[in-house]
Amino acid sequence: MKISHNWLQTFFDQQIPNPAELEDLLTFHSSEIEEVVKVGNDTVIDVKVLPDKSAWLMSHRGMAKEISVITGIPMAHDIFKTKPVLSPVLDKININLKTANCDYYASALINGITVGPSPAWLVERITALGQRSINNVVDATNYIMFELGQPLHAFDADKLATENNQYKIGVRNANEDEEIITLTGENFKLSSADMVVVDAVTDSPIAIAGIKGGQRATVDLNTKNILLESAHFERKTIRHTAKNIKLRTDASVRFENGISVGLAPLSLPVVLELIIKIAGGELIGYGKAGLAEVKRDNVAVTTAKINSVLGLNLTNEIVLSILKKFDYSYKLEGDNFTVTPPWERDDLFLAEDLIEEVGRIYGMEHVASIKPKLEKVSKVNVRQYYAEKIRRTLIDLGFSEVFTSSFRSKDKVKIKNALASDKGYLRSRLHDNIIEAITKNIPHRDLLGLTTIKIFEIGTVFDEESESFQLALGVRTGTTYKAKVDDELLKTAQHEIENTLGLNITWFNTDEGVSEFSLDDILSKLPMPLQYDEVVKTATINYQPFSIYPSISRDIAFWVSSDTESAKVVSLLSETAGNLCVRVTLFDTFMKEDKTSLAFRLVFQSKERTLDGSEVDSLMTKVYDAVAKAGWEGR
Amino acid sequence: MKNIGHQHLLSKMIAEINQIFSQIGFEFAEGPERELVKYNFDMLNVPADHPSRDMQDTFYLADAPELVMRTHTSAVQVRYMLDNKPPIRMICPGKVFRNEATDATHEAQFFQLEGLMIDKDISLGHMKGVLEYFSSKFFGGEVQVRFRPSFFPFVEPGVEVDMMIAKNEHNKLSGRWIEIMGAGMTHPNVLRNAGIDPTVYQGFAFGAGIDRLAVLKYGIDDIRLMYNGDLRFVNQF
Repeated sequence: MKISHNWLQTFFDQQIPNPAELEDLLTFHSSEIEEVVKVGNDTVIDVKVLPDKSAWLMSHRGMAKEISVITGIPMAHDIFKTKPVLSPVLDKININLKTANCDYYASALINGITVGPSPAWLVERITALGQRSINNVVDATNYIMFELGQPLHAFDADKLATENNQYKIGVRNANEDEEIITLTGENFKLSSADMVVVDAVTDSPIAIAGIKGGQRATVDLNTKNILLESAHFERKTIRHTAKNIKLRTDASVRFENGISVGLAPLSLPVVLELIIKIAGGELIGYGKAGLAEVKRDNVAVTTAKINSVLGLNLTNEIVLSILKKFDYSYKLEGDNFTVTPPWERDDLFLAEDLIEEVGRIYGMEHVASIKPKLEKVSKVNVRQYYAEKIRRTLIDLGFSEVFTSSFRSKDKVKIKNALASDKGYLRSRLHDNIIEAITKNIPHRDLLGLTTIKIFEIGTVFDEESESFQLALGVRTGTTYKAKVDDELLKTAQHEIENTLGLNITWFNTDEGVSEFSLDDILSKLPMPLQYDEVVKTATINYQPFSIYPSISRDIAFWVSSDTESAKVVSLLSETAGNLCVRVTLFDTFMKEDKTSLAFRLVFQSKERTLDGSEVDSLMTKVYDAVAKAGWEGR
Repeated sequence: MKNIGHQHLLSKMIAEINQIFSQIGFEFAEGPERELVKYNFDMLNVPADHPSRDMQDTFYLADAPELVMRTHTSAVQVRYMLDNKPPIRMICPGKVFRNEATDATHEAQFFQLEGLMIDKDISLGHMKGVLEYFSSKFFGGEVQVRFRPSFFPFVEPGVEVDMMIAKNEHNKLSGRWIEIMGAGMTHPNVLRNAGIDPTVYQGFAFGAGIDRLAVLKYGIDDIRLMYNGDLRFVNQF
């Protein structure tokens, strides 16, 4: 939610902290700050208001109160304290609440206004928050919503019918398939779970209650007389409708977060005073229905409990000073506080809620850390223990571990709201993912310095009834599956896993050099481990982004004297081949008399472009020359 | 020539995390990835019609309104508390799912680390101590932890946790505050739902993205690399 620093200042006589200081104070005592942006001579602070504070913090008044509590600077102007009242009550507006989901509705009639552009100060305030200025009446309702948190709406009174010289406003559940066109022209079809405000004379909808006004009674440049709505709608209904018709507005967000009903009667005199000031006109009177009274239950907490949860050593005096900053009414007996939450706060029910208030205002930085006791865990997780054992076995055999997606394009279990059509189902086996991963890695064998791709995954698979923790492994030596070579390697790995675990495993989905088994099926047959094996800590490695361009490989073989160290040969080759040579792999060695034959594969790749074969060939010419110069005889 | 394979960074990190926590008595727990709404939301104090349920975009299953792909490992908290009485010290690393568009910093599936400690007199001070112990061992060096107010429905008070590794020229993460996880004191409703008397017991819970820890520790620029089976990534570690 965007908050203007200049606007905040209007609640105080004393200077409030500058935006940078405020950002810090709010971060450590209230809410996360998304962004602080300079707008003209103002600064706008974008505050991430989380659900627990949304009922009372989504307004400049709410934020000003928060700042007053944090800094101790008193609010000089607070409508919640002056509590303006309206008169006269009028028989010109009849309000009928036909649904329990609207507990209070007030409507004021102002005649003789002049709709036009807003004054410069109002345009500045509204646009600083990234809103569009529409006209003085609409801007005034929006302004008071951003000021106090109460959504408001103005209807053109002359577009409504009257009966016996009386306006009739109703709030009722929508009829099944009832349609309404909003003031911005979209058509919505509603259901009986939704709520509408109606012109009760004709029973026709003039607003989707609490969400958006209808086109029918839109205020425009010809409007002379208006009915101003300040009402309270039940949060669950608004949430349901906003979600269903996919229309979330500044109004709906505030209602669904549970703003207090007490805001509605308070905001009406404020907004109509502003409208009369900037658009002229005269208040004829107002009508209301329902009750706007708020009863809050007491919450009790002891200083001992506060300290025991926060890990602090606060005294009664410190707790007291914090409660006073909030203006909470409270009683103190011994170290037992009984607090009556103010009417605007809907988030204080439990001792823990008060503990949070005390903790965040006092400052969480005062929490002192208590060192944990060193004490080995007594129970070992069998799944983790044996999964790690299998991993070590496979890694020794040259297998690398992969993690792949749990989603498939088609399988047994369907996701109701999938991200994409190729992710619509849960995987029922690992087999297909392993095949895909092998296929993806085959072209990179030279780059990886591998002749065979050997991979495995340990993860969860799903069928209709249950899920299972499985392992799949796969090998491929050529570009396609070759039973003779690949099955041999697969079998060796299967045997090694069985040896490690000391039991026979039922393998399934064995096909194309891939095989799978369920860890869950065998864990109960394995001995209970007493402690975890030590994890070998590897040096911290920084990930290196790899090139997206294809690589080119070249082989070279030559004779060296048998006392030549191959490492020296490798470094000569890679130095000569230059930076584009990303890997030198020794792939064949044999001895004949006093000579050794070495065969290397050099892999070339650029980070910026696709390499040209002739470019690599000229690099290889350099390599041949260097080899000859070293006295090594080519083969 | 013998080629040694490579363990995936995620399972390697999980083993390392488990080793660190096992030394201070935290048990490795697990739970299903396809979870009952009851454990993923209801019993964690996330009511059906409350905006707090919108904090996480959820995958639902067709024809099974009682099931979701778990949105957090917190789902394991209640399961564990129903089976184990305090004192409780538990971690749960595992896969979680969010219905979010993917990019270099977001995956629809990723790994989380849950932690839970419940006893008669556990405070935010204990949480600070445990998280400092963990971060020091995991990132190396002397690590300080600080809390900022936040909100998660299953804790009260809720905090964001930042860490700072003592300044060290060999570690580019050192000398500045870095957000690492969300945490807080377990909400009394959650304890009660799990059959633990909140007037007797209290404690803390935390939840961190293991992927995020990997991004921090290893300088990974695209978390999708962890889930696409590409050995050009896997074999670097």
